Amino acid sequence: MLRAALVFVVAAVGITAILSMGGTAQAATETEAVTTAATSGGTNLLIQNLFNGIVFGLLLALASVGLSLIYGTTGLSNFAHGEMVTFGAMITYFLATPQAVSFPLLPFEFTVNWPFWLAAPAGIAIATALGWVQDKIIWSQLRRRRVAMIQQMIVSIGLSLALVNFIQWWMGGRPVRLVTSIDPRKQYGPISVGNVTLISMVIAIVALLAVAFFLQRTRLGRATRAVSDNPALASASGIKVDSIIRIVWMMAAGLAALGGILLALYQQGIGFDDGTKLLMMMFAAVTLGGLGHPYGALVGSLIIGVVAEVSTVWLPPDLKFATALGILIIVLLVRPQGILGKAERVG
Amino acid sequence: MDILFDVLRTAIAPSTAAFALAAIGLNFHFGLTGLLNMGQAGFMLLGMYGFAISIQQGWPIWVAILVGLAAAAIFAVLLGWPTLKLRGDYLAIVTIAAAEMVRFLGRSQSLAGLTGASSGIRGSDYKAPFEELSPFPDAIVNIGPFSMHGSRSSSWWLTTVTWAIVLLCAGLFWRLANSPWGRVLKGIREDEDAVRSLGKNVYSYKMQALIIGGVIGALGGITWALGNSVQPDSMGRPTTFWLWTLLLLGGAATVFGPVLGSILFWSSLTLVKSLASAFIPSDVLAPTELEPFSLVLVGVTLMLLVVFRPQGVLGNKKELAF
Repeated sequence: MLRAALVFVVAAVGITAILSMGGTAQAATETEAVTTAATSGGTNLLIQNLFNGIVFGLLLALASVGLSLIYGTTGLSNFAHGEMVTFGAMITYFLATPQAVSFPLLPFEFTVNWPFWLAAPAGIAIATALGWVQDKIIWSQLRRRRVAMIQQMIVSIGLSLALVNFIQWWMGGRPVRLVTSIDPRKQYGPISVGNVTLISMVIAIVALLAVAFFLQRTRLGRATRAVSDNPALASASGIKVDSIIRIVWMMAAGLAALGGILLALYQQGIGFDDGTKLLMMMFAAVTLGGLGHPYGALVGSLIIGVVAEVSTVWLPPDLKFATALGILIIVLLVRPQGILGKAERVG
Repeated sequence: MDILFDVLRTAIAPSTAAFALAAIGLNFHFGLTGLLNMGQAGFMLLGMYGFAISIQQGWPIWVAILVGLAAAAIFAVLLGWPTLKLRGDYLAIVTIAAAEMVRFLGRSQSLAGLTGASSGIRGSDYKAPFEELSPFPDAIVNIGPFSMHGSRSSSWWLTTVTWAIVLLCAGLFWRLANSPWGRVLKGIREDEDAVRSLGKNVYSYKMQALIIGGVIGALGGITWALGNSVQPDSMGRPTTFWLWTLLLLGGAATVFGPVLGSILFWSSLTLVKSLASAFIPSDVLAPTELEPFSLVLVGVTLMLLVVFRPQGVLGNKKELAF
């Protein structure tokens, strides 16, 4: 605990020192931010950032719930989860765009041009199917061969490298937009927000509630929690561990795809590596909430989202991801099991 | 024939040597001690920044090198301090997060005065002191089929120096791995608790391994920067993953595994790219798609390697952390 506090102080001093070396321009904007924070404009900025943080946190939660469930049921830190987020958004773009699309290595082009309300559910369905395929041809095989967890983790890293470059190869290096219309922002008190973002929030909350209902109230969900708690014991009491894990993979892929689609709407476009960039945030959220704890991902995501967005009030915006990663490192120092995780020996 | 020369040129290029160096560092972490360092690119980047920024401040070259190495050593201490007591995958997540933090800080506009933000530091701003030391002529020199500049950038001078450092570090690895110290590290890799019960301070040994590997990684970063430029985005997560691929390809826990791995990795990447551009028509695979296409192959190679031949070309299956 003392060690942790000391590292925190050293890190804080270090970052402050580095930032103050960064130039007087930075210092000027910082003092400006501090002075404006005292006025009502500053409070508005804070509330707006808080709100943005909650939106981002909800979208992050959609993506990271699956990561946490996979970790809980199999013990795998899945580094290829970020690509599932990108894939969901990209396949939706593939189905919805009026432009000609093609598959890699196939020389012909065609247009799908489905309406967005049809393309998005289809995208999620395809992503869910991909989750099934992934578990069928890779992960269940590795489990059957009793490949060590660290090896599986490196396999997921290889898969992530392959998928992200495949998506770049397929869709090109430039960000794509799922819908072409611009979402006008409206003012609600101190918060300005567009309708699409509000609808996205509602969808995210409904999806997260559905996951909670599934885990808490259905037989399958209870079985999932049992596997997550103790796979051997669950197997001994007659739960088919492998089919539960298959369902978890499908659910994780589907939720990640939904998160990806909403993220693409929220930030008005998605690039081939956006999911990959998001992966560190997801790990931060999942670790913060408690690795493998089903609701930990939600709590962690909201905290990470709010911290990342609110930090931009004081710190330069291009450091918001670095701030969130800093939080992850500090959490590991103080409470490695996360907020909701149970204390256990982890090393 | 041209393709063959391209491949050979890649095999001896200074960048290949730089990656071999960073992989030797990773070999100290993973091969010898079993530490899952997923942020080796961060160590390389810190070495590059330390070196380039010190030269820009007008410090002599040996001070600059020391600054680069010291930055990596401090980074290793800060990372290892909290995480070396936790389970292995925590170190993986923290190192990858910390390496990304270094990259984000390097990219950040607020430090543009020192790091040049996302455009980085141009090679001409820091390469001069090293190039002035060159005994080679200041012109293009042809040796056999290879044509490189004598002293500038990716030169014969840099090639000689980097491969000499690679040999030195490989020798250092061989010496240390066979010393009593190295045997303790191997013991930690096999069974941490057994070593602890023998009264060894496991934490301190792991820390030493992390620092040595990180410093060698920084050396790799410095030599890489001397052939290219300091660019934060060139040292992102993919770089670390490539390092893992080539280390596992050559064979972890072996002396020449990282060196062979680096040569094989970069040569086959060049081979695949040139074969693809020569034989696959460009309406099937456009030139811009070559890079992602070859990296898909790298990812698949990594997956297959880990599952089917985790010991790589030279390694011994018993000598693996997993």
